[in-house]
Amino acid sequence: MRKYLVRRAVYAAGTLLGVSLIIFVVLRILPGDPLVAILGVEGHARMSAADRVRIMADLGLSAPLPVQYGRWLVDIGAGRLGRSFFRGDTVSELILHRGPISAEIGVLALVISWLVGLPVGILSAFRPNSVPDGVARALSVLFIAIPGFWLGMLIVLALLFWFGYKAPIVIVHVWQDPWQNLQIVIGPAVVLGLAQGAYIARMSRSCLLEVIGDDFVRTARAKGLREGLVVFRHALPNALLPVITISGVLLGFVLGGSVAVEQAFGVPGLGRALVTAVIERDIIVVQNLVLLYASIFVIINVLVDLSYAWLDPRIRYG
Amino acid sequence: MSVERPSPPPANTVSRRTFLRTLGIAGGGVVVAPAFVRTPASAQETPSPLRPDPTAKRGGTLRYAVHNAPAHFDVHQSGTVANIGPQSPMYDTLLRRHPKDGQTIIPDLAWKWDIAPDGKKYTFHLRKGVKFHDGGDFTAEDVRATYERIARPPKGVVIPRTPLFSTVGDIVVLDPHKIEFRLTEPRPRAFMLGAFASGWNILVRKKTLDEHGGNLRQVMNYPGTGPFRHVSRKDKEIWIMERNPDYWNKGLPYIDRLEVYHMFPFSPELGSAFLSGKIDYARLMDPVSWRKAKEMPGATAANFNQSVIQAFWTNMNKKPLADPRVRRAIHLAMDRHALVEVVKDTAPMQVGGFVYPFHEFSTPRAELEKRLGYQADVTPAVQEARRLMREAGYGQGIKGLDFVVRDIATFKLWAVAIQAMLKEHINVETNLRVVQTSVWFDEAAAGNFDLAISAIVSTLMDPSDYFSAWYGKDGPQNYSRWTNPAFHDLANQIERELDDVKRKALVRKAEDILEQDPPLIPVAYEQIYDAWYNKVRGQNPSTYFGIYDVVRWDTVWIAQT
Repeated sequence: MRKYLVRRAVYAAGTLLGVSLIIFVVLRILPGDPLVAILGVEGHARMSAADRVRIMADLGLSAPLPVQYGRWLVDIGAGRLGRSFFRGDTVSELILHRGPISAEIGVLALVISWLVGLPVGILSAFRPNSVPDGVARALSVLFIAIPGFWLGMLIVLALLFWFGYKAPIVIVHVWQDPWQNLQIVIGPAVVLGLAQGAYIARMSRSCLLEVIGDDFVRTARAKGLREGLVVFRHALPNALLPVITISGVLLGFVLGGSVAVEQAFGVPGLGRALVTAVIERDIIVVQNLVLLYASIFVIINVLVDLSYAWLDPRIRYG
Repeated sequence: MSVERPSPPPANTVSRRTFLRTLGIAGGGVVVAPAFVRTPASAQETPSPLRPDPTAKRGGTLRYAVHNAPAHFDVHQSGTVANIGPQSPMYDTLLRRHPKDGQTIIPDLAWKWDIAPDGKKYTFHLRKGVKFHDGGDFTAEDVRATYERIARPPKGVVIPRTPLFSTVGDIVVLDPHKIEFRLTEPRPRAFMLGAFASGWNILVRKKTLDEHGGNLRQVMNYPGTGPFRHVSRKDKEIWIMERNPDYWNKGLPYIDRLEVYHMFPFSPELGSAFLSGKIDYARLMDPVSWRKAKEMPGATAANFNQSVIQAFWTNMNKKPLADPRVRRAIHLAMDRHALVEVVKDTAPMQVGGFVYPFHEFSTPRAELEKRLGYQADVTPAVQEARRLMREAGYGQGIKGLDFVVRDIATFKLWAVAIQAMLKEHINVETNLRVVQTSVWFDEAAAGNFDLAISAIVSTLMDPSDYFSAWYGKDGPQNYSRWTNPAFHDLANQIERELDDVKRKALVRKAEDILEQDPPLIPVAYEQIYDAWYNKVRGQNPSTYFGIYDVVRWDTVWIAQT
């Protein structure tokens, strides 16, 4: 097990190093001048070549690319994520301030996806081709197909025009005011959770359908167990493994999807910070946030792999 | 070098008559002098035209949303309302625009000014007793440091307003509260006073500039003298300020706390924040939300002019576009009224020509709309455009022009409409290339385009400001690389002509040249949509010219506190 863990950690580190290199190179070769955002259109137009050289040096962008990349890695190793080169705020401050909101949205979306997806999947699997199964399948296709940001905008507009309601416009953390905080995170979490819930419903349905035809389920029924026990004690645990796998992958999609959905709901989370940083060409913020998202994705995948051994005694890592 | 010394006064003998006359004058002087001679003035002894309104209520919080967060904190180096919006309330300027109309120039930290008859000296008398937020005294040295920086920025500092002060030679401190700007050659008074009243030219402390090597881009809270003081800030969310209890204009400001929310202009997020009552005052609203706000009981919605031209450029280095007839044909092929309509749900716009259509020097709107290219019915303009294309040898049209479009909703909508108009009216075929804002400016500066659409701003409405930047031979925003010697001569004259009537006539002549030989094609002029709840009193921006000179909030009060 320890060997396996070390191997996974080395793979994860390699993956992240590769990701960091790709982000770094892509952000440097993309066309567009960050000085437009810094100096404004008029200032940029009036900037002399000498001014440009000086400002780029101040921002640390005039050093050779390998040097810039090396400095970034050193910074990450030292726990410094650099500063936004516009306002001088550190990226760590940004993550500490906005991260909890995005994390809440991710976790809540995952919980919602399970709360909605599993019951719907179970119902569909045990009443295949019934009306509820048909409705559940149609709805799951619908929620998979609808873009989250569009649904988010509809929800925001409906709440505004029908009830004159809008969630708080600045960050309120759960420890500051849980009720205000819930109003900020619930919308994006529901939108993201429903979309992922649709995947989970379809996956759990198909896995359950496969499992309930197995001998051990027939045996459980034959010995006179109640249907509830058959489902929850025997069928479901055996059908959950692929659902857990897909949940890990889906959490990654939730992270990605939260960028657009946070924007639609106007939630000041990390996703929104990333969008603004891209618009401003704030390279330092973009590269650190993308690396953060990639790290979370990699860690989730490692955790999902490890959870297999715990959930399925037949699996042993060596 | 010899220095001439004053000769010693002759020895006096005082006669009885002289003695009595002197005594009489001195006695009378003692009685009359207090009416003319003041003890050292304080800020309040030189009152501002902005007197506290006795009916106004003190206290309360104003929640105001404007633009996304600034990219840095140096107002002088900025060109965007992202800085002016949140930061202006913390600072003062030498002169300012009256918040009632947004146009009349009134004293600010200079309570009085004199202009030499030859127009080459501007002397400002500064208020005494004014304190910076860090407790430092405001003096003429601070004004000199501020304006030396603006007129002659240090290395690595780029200030878009520098050209306004290109004729400023020496800036001389006459005493701690009197300063003189000596011009190398005179400029029209309206131009110079407008430059001194510009909201961009906030007065900062010499000590602050010295401490930071003249660059305040990353200094968030540098002291000003303004009506509000910094309290806290959350990047991309909110900037909170409190009333400056030591503000020199006693009785102002009225409100205790100012919360500035950063929200993207014309965004549904800003609109919904206002409509749901999360903010009291919204600036730069999208048209759909603004129309909703207009219908809302208890709210007021106003629109006003903004110093931004939406335009598209034709690259003079590309052969067909170097021909003024082709450019005029493109200019005439535009259905400007339709273009305003196309974006009416995205951004508020109005039709205009080469000079701000709401400025006194421009051709009046009624007259303009009789001209080809500005009429509601485009048929005659299109006929003329086709004739010009034939005459230039392009009767069959032009194919494959590279049309670079800035990735912003209005430009994308317009690009498609313009593409259709050019094809239908003069058979010019274009390939749209949508690029991110920073890429657009790279491409425009490098001349990598045939046609390019974007927007540019000016500091002043005065033509001498933007004629050189937009249409000047080496103008930084003359992306077309356009030249026209007759126009450049005229622009030089306009810059130096001190008589307003003559200037206006010259501007009209310049307009005629631009119509025939367009350096850019004006698409529309931006307007600003503001909305506020009626409890916010003391400001109505309906007559404002732009949003850069009028953000202070010192005269605004909240009716229910």
